[in-house]
Amino acid sequence: MQGFKLAFNYLRIGVMNEFQYRANLYIQILQTFIALGTGLIGLSLVFDQVDQLGGWGKADLLAVMGVFTIMGGVIRAAIQPNMERLMDEIREGTLDYALTKPADSQLLVSVREFRLWTLVDVVVGVVVLIIALNQLNWLVGGWSALGFFTALVMGALMIYCFWLIITSTAFWFVRVHEIANLFEGLYAAGRWPVNIYPNWLRYGLTFLVPVAFAVTVPASALTGRLTLQTWLGALALTVTLFTIARFIWKVGLRNYSGASA
Amino acid sequence: MKRYIDFYTSMMRLSVLEQWQYPIANYFYMIGMLAEPVIYMVVWSAVATQQGGSVGGYTPGSLAAYYIVWTLVRQMNIAFTPYGWEWRIRQGRLSMSLMRPMHPLHEDVAFFAGWKVVMIILWIPLALALSFFFKPDLHPTLLEGAVFFIAIWMAYLIRTITLSLLGMVTFWTTRVSALFELYFAAELIFSGRLVPLSLMPEWVQQAAWFMPFRWAFGFPIETLVGNMPVNDLFLGLGMQFVWIFFGTILVSQIWKIAIRQFSAVGG
Amino acid sequence: MPSVISISKLAKHYQVPEREAGLKAAAKGLFKRTYKIVKAVDGITFDIQPGEIVGFLGPNGAGKTTTLKMLTGLLHPTSGQVSVLGFEPAKRPHDYLRQITLVMGNRNQLSWDLPALDSFDLQRAIYSIPTDEFKRTRDEFIELLELKDLVQKPVRNLSLGERMKMEFVGALLHKPKVLFLDEPTLGLDVTMQKRIRSFVAEYNQRYNATVLLTSHYMADVEALCKRVIVIHHGQLLFDGELSALVEKFSAFKTVGFTLEDPAADLSQYGDVVSVDGSRVTMRVPKEKTSAVTSRLLNELSVEDLTVEAAPIEDVIESVFSVKKEALE
Repeated sequence: MQGFKLAFNYLRIGVMNEFQYRANLYIQILQTFIALGTGLIGLSLVFDQVDQLGGWGKADLLAVMGVFTIMGGVIRAAIQPNMERLMDEIREGTLDYALTKPADSQLLVSVREFRLWTLVDVVVGVVVLIIALNQLNWLVGGWSALGFFTALVMGALMIYCFWLIITSTAFWFVRVHEIANLFEGLYAAGRWPVNIYPNWLRYGLTFLVPVAFAVTVPASALTGRLTLQTWLGALALTVTLFTIARFIWKVGLRNYSGASA
Repeated sequence: MKRYIDFYTSMMRLSVLEQWQYPIANYFYMIGMLAEPVIYMVVWSAVATQQGGSVGGYTPGSLAAYYIVWTLVRQMNIAFTPYGWEWRIRQGRLSMSLMRPMHPLHEDVAFFAGWKVVMIILWIPLALALSFFFKPDLHPTLLEGAVFFIAIWMAYLIRTITLSLLGMVTFWTTRVSALFELYFAAELIFSGRLVPLSLMPEWVQQAAWFMPFRWAFGFPIETLVGNMPVNDLFLGLGMQFVWIFFGTILVSQIWKIAIRQFSAVGG
Repeated sequence: MPSVISISKLAKHYQVPEREAGLKAAAKGLFKRTYKIVKAVDGITFDIQPGEIVGFLGPNGAGKTTTLKMLTGLLHPTSGQVSVLGFEPAKRPHDYLRQITLVMGNRNQLSWDLPALDSFDLQRAIYSIPTDEFKRTRDEFIELLELKDLVQKPVRNLSLGERMKMEFVGALLHKPKVLFLDEPTLGLDVTMQKRIRSFVAEYNQRYNATVLLTSHYMADVEALCKRVIVIHHGQLLFDGELSALVEKFSAFKTVGFTLEDPAADLSQYGDVVSVDGSRVTMRVPKEKTSAVTSRLLNELSVEDLTVEAAPIEDVIESVFSVKKEALE
């Protein structure tokens, strides 16, 4: 329980901090709309040529873009800033400050940072999603909606575990900063449903970097494509990844040795 | 003149040695950048296959060729970003550079040029891997190869010029990310980065002639992949040269004004 | 002989927007901006001759760094004249830049991942040093600073002190005539500080270079600088010999002696600073020194009586605490 109180406190401070930088809000809005614009241009260029891609129609792909934007917002608001800070602290030996506080270290390093304004992405993503659902005449059953929300949460958790595992390797290999680049590149693949990719890429995007579970699976739920099998698979994978991440974190901590004198 | 050759050789050598120390980091960087063209390639190949084999004159084979060459051109036109300029000023590194009898822009150009030598070497196995998976349809002639080689270095200079101009805006204000974002968005559309320009609406193709983006990106790719008539190849090189010529003049003029601003407020 | 560094009524003023806290003030600030003028440097004048090593002292925010930046051409003065080696630094002509160097403590110019030797070669190219002359100078410095085994190691593997020595070599390869040293011994241990100091002194001897040194370590200043210039609140507070500074600003002298009788009441003579066994150190007002020392010799049985100027740190502290109003 203390952990959640702590998380809430960090959130509060993070938000107050962000209010100091109101200009960042406007920049974020601009960035979100530019990304949206280029995404829509890409989509329309494709649909100038075809009516559907890999079994997904225009409205379906719009829904995918909505989920992609929402998830991207969540990652950049809550997950990535914490992991990047963790990376820096491991490299510079200042992780000690976090380790000497009376709270679970993994929880602490995962919730310290929060970029409020990035939530604009989430808002815009929701709007896009609503427009897409409109075009699909809101053919979403209760189970599908539940499937969507749970898949979204699981997807976010999987991305978090992935980031934590990679960041934890900084305990052994110092220069992992380029991971951020790598991840952003691979995450961009989530713009399109993974089944249009060749097999080898699809497996990579499912089991190596859980992009499929972050975007395609929730979008599938909303567009009536999700099977119970896939949902259960997502659940199993989430639990597995979480266990592995926590294990690697603990092992890494034991190896950690702070900055040299 | 000899002095500059000496400096460039020395700086590039230093840069190569430095970057060679971090092959893994460089690979992560490059693989991360690969995702973008592979996604475009796969999507458009899917479209082409659905359309019965080709879209806008590009088959999956020639799309693969386009986007694989894309990856090399992308590496070639990496230059110091406006965010880098901001960082450099804030860290006091610009002041240190100004203390030396060598224009900081020469340092930038030489440093990145050296890095590219390392990048090109590391890129080759990646290109072979991509070719294995995507089977590009590529048969360039010797002339096209030669033109390509010149075009990619000119592309590097053009992009250095445009990014430096943007970077110099940071001398006047720190809140310029909005401007940069707009630039990168325009570049995405008008350069041939998102899709080959021939797949874009007519008006976009026309407009692209008058903007620097295509000459730093799409044109070099097209020299190798596009089966361009010889006249067009040389016309393109000419356009690149024109952009570099006028761009350099513009950069040196703005630099003088920018440094005056920097010295007035101390950065 | 013409001065190497010559500044006259040099001033640097900044226009700084006034900002108050609170929402109302912020809203008002959107429409009407009020500015106030900050005089970072407010009319200073001095000349430095070739071969001098001058200490440049002042508390943080005194105008030291601003003056230094105007001398190196990084800042344009608001008014006044500045000339170094006959050049106007603000124009930053290449011929000027080739004859000066700036070394800052804790800042690296050398490539982090490579051996210093590689970075030295880049310096050669930047400053267009002829190759044989470069090799000679380089080897001479490496010898002088005992760096032979270290030049092949990547700079990131060197200790802070070793790195600073490397930075010095790199900064002096082009044999500059004027050295601007900004806290060069920052963070170094005592042995390394001494090493750097003797290197600077040696370089100054061999090449008759002019050195302008800022440092918060008084030991640096005492060891190297005959002359000091003190800046505070943007104005010149003192320009002369270090001993004269102590004389002028110290109100106290340090009296030390060995006392047999520990119980004696010493408060009537002055302030006791420390008692170490039978050795006593006291602080005595300057004008009372002769009276107090004769009383000590007569009234108590003291031995090994010494009278010294107050420690430099104390002097500087009192110099730095001079209020702005006192300078108007």
